[in-house]
Amino acid sequence: MKALEKLNLHLKTRLADLSKAKEQGRKIIGYPAGGYLPEELVLACDAIPVCFIQAGDNTILKDAGAYICRWFDPFWRSQIGYLTSGKDPYYTIADLIVTPITDNHTRAFSNTVGYYTPEIESFVFGVPHVKDEYALGYYLQGINRLKKKLEDFTGVEITESRLKQSIRLCNRERELFRQISLMRQSENFAVASKDFVALNHGSFIADKGVMVEILESFAKEVKDSAPLLKDGPRILFTGSTLARGDSKVMDIIEDTGGVVVMEEFAEGIRPYWGNVKLDGDLMANLAQSYFMDRVCPGWFRPGTERLDFLIKLAREYKAAGMIWYQLMYRESYKVESYFFPDILKKETGLNMLTLESEYDAMETGPMKTRIETFIETIRS
Amino acid sequence: MADYYDELFKLCGFEDEEIEEERTRIEKAFERLGIGPEDMETADSWVRQNHDVTLKGVRKLLGAWLKELIDLVLARDDGKKIVYFGFPAILGPGLMLSASSDDVFVCAPDMVLDHTMGQIFNKLTPILEAGEANGLPSGHALCSLWQAKIGGVALGMIPVPDLALASSYYCDMGSKADDLVTAQFGVPMAYIDGVMDSSWGEYPDYLPERVHYLGAQIDQALKKAEKVLDIEIVPDAWEKSQKDSRAFVNNLLRLLDLMRADPVPVSVAELELLEALSGSSTGRGIREGVKAMEILIPELEERVKAGTGAVEKGAPRVITWVGHCADPRVTRLVEDVGLAVPLTLTLAWVGGPPFKPKRTYATPGEKIADYELATGIFHGTDGVIKRFEMGAKVMKLDGFIMNYLYNCRPDALLSHNTKKYLEEKTGLPVLALEIDAFDSRAYSAASLRTKVETFAHMLKAKKKSAKE
Repeated sequence: MKALEKLNLHLKTRLADLSKAKEQGRKIIGYPAGGYLPEELVLACDAIPVCFIQAGDNTILKDAGAYICRWFDPFWRSQIGYLTSGKDPYYTIADLIVTPITDNHTRAFSNTVGYYTPEIESFVFGVPHVKDEYALGYYLQGINRLKKKLEDFTGVEITESRLKQSIRLCNRERELFRQISLMRQSENFAVASKDFVALNHGSFIADKGVMVEILESFAKEVKDSAPLLKDGPRILFTGSTLARGDSKVMDIIEDTGGVVVMEEFAEGIRPYWGNVKLDGDLMANLAQSYFMDRVCPGWFRPGTERLDFLIKLAREYKAAGMIWYQLMYRESYKVESYFFPDILKKETGLNMLTLESEYDAMETGPMKTRIETFIETIRS
Repeated sequence: MADYYDELFKLCGFEDEEIEEERTRIEKAFERLGIGPEDMETADSWVRQNHDVTLKGVRKLLGAWLKELIDLVLARDDGKKIVYFGFPAILGPGLMLSASSDDVFVCAPDMVLDHTMGQIFNKLTPILEAGEANGLPSGHALCSLWQAKIGGVALGMIPVPDLALASSYYCDMGSKADDLVTAQFGVPMAYIDGVMDSSWGEYPDYLPERVHYLGAQIDQALKKAEKVLDIEIVPDAWEKSQKDSRAFVNNLLRLLDLMRADPVPVSVAELELLEALSGSSTGRGIREGVKAMEILIPELEERVKAGTGAVEKGAPRVITWVGHCADPRVTRLVEDVGLAVPLTLTLAWVGGPPFKPKRTYATPGEKIADYELATGIFHGTDGVIKRFEMGAKVMKLDGFIMNYLYNCRPDALLSHNTKKYLEEKTGLPVLALEIDAFDSRAYSAASLRTKVETFAHMLKAKKKSAKE
């Protein structure tokens, strides 16, 4: 795929481009994965959003061990490890780190930023765990404070027209992801899940304008391409976090003949199901879209919205099985993984395989056996 | 007529007439809990080994927990509408519900099981195992307090509640495990949400928006409770609920004042029984706790006057984070190696320096939220750490034991930063100790002893050299 090659080339020089932009006075706003930071606000003040999305390497957890005990989600410990060790330059290039606080794993990161790296300016705002008018209001006041902070930090006023322009750009990106994803509902499609995930991960660090162009090229290419030659069971792949660098499970699924047709993850896959409205109060529209309309992650209460959504996805994407990939110590997902298989079975007749990881290479063997068995069971 | 359990109940402060009065209920509750004559010997020696039963006030306190257990187990039989909340919790909503109707029983059932089936009968393990078998497996650092709750319900020891006050302003596990209870037993939820989105260094300040949001969530949960339970929250519910709580806190303050003495007059394990009671019960346990303290206070005053106590005079003084709710041996371990513990940080919320709510809010929910954010624990990590720092100023300390709970995420957030912060700010040594305060199968007193012993040696040597 030429689009993917273009993305790889763009990412190869991205750090150098960011450094150059920084030298020219543009601010880089780092933020952790989770999808609750409206990038529109960052773009509207001519700053550059860079999402912290790297994980999958167990060795970085040792670095994190100097700052936090091991009983936290390894994705978030990885974020702590990369930030404090400086081993990934994307984490140290930021001028300001903004953390939308979702759960205590996120707090582990924001505490580290606040206490151990005071030299980097930081800002936090909260994401409630329920959806009601008060929660929406709270999220809205959070992003309003963020808007003010960004304006003060960059010296650029986020005007209505600037914000509208950035919403248009981000909406276009979401539309393209949606369009590409939906292609996989058909029996014959040309979008490999690994490519879709690579685009997603790339979009967290790429220049937004370039990314939209790449997605447009990709959408055109796959439309014109021959379907993938795969007749394995269609897999709905879900979980808490799918980080850039964490391809182990996807590789095994592919190697054992399964075909991932949909990825539903709270962190690591960009929410792309809805657009932000362009009429009326734009800040309220951002809150509505990013908080209220988005299907919530597992740490929301009650968890039924997401679980119902998974059932809907399983039907619409004609899944033959579900693989639930959770990271160690992310308790919200662990608890749901106990009672959801019965609900899934009752509603769709599908089986669910639960996998758990701490990014340890030792997990590969047992995971392979379990996935192979699962795929074989579906086939038989 | 006396029965096999009479001696144990007397050991736990029951008077003969109280046993007679409760006899039918005791037997009914014991049947449901699987407690029989064969358990009495263990319970008797376990209580004597771990609690200072020479103090009548301590025995009465254990009795208060037993009464709370019986009320919990028989709440359905008593025709009560049952409400469970998690621990630690913002207590206001539960207290207000309890104060509004005699037909409502509100408590933190897991804490009651820990303090009775754990601290008195040493029979918590089967309950924890039932929790593990019903959705909260071992090996995943899941909350063992929740394992006790789920296990107790799954085993039919405690009733399925009519409503759960599910909190998501502190831990992520709590209300998610409430979802599990809903999935398994169909229990309605009243969620109280909040977000711990403090900036580092923000405490003791907090944004008014946080108070408004948490307050609105509390008010909304109370409305839902009224609907589900078919009760009306009386206008003076807050004031009524404060009546018993105030007496409890005042007595606790008197006890904590006595703990300033050298030697400390009693093990902190006994004070933990009190602190936990105030965070778990909204009914008889609180009233009985007040009475127990009225006996305990003069007993300890006598000890202070006589210069006797839990450890020898001049022992280095440390503050710990929490006591063990199910196994007092873990709490006592620190004293066993010769350190005095005048206070836990949990108790410092009562006995530490005052905190300052803004007191400018209107609704009951906002008033509660304002107070709770001011206390620090529901504010954020640096709020908790600063309360530690302030607590150190109250008692003359030689060090800290930061015994954080590995399987409680908000607590585990304190694992490293607290040690660094306190050592830098106070100059006192800090031992960071990983524990499970609700389950001692993996984190037993024996497994922790080496670390605590070494720390104690160091403190003693330091104190000695300072004298020389």
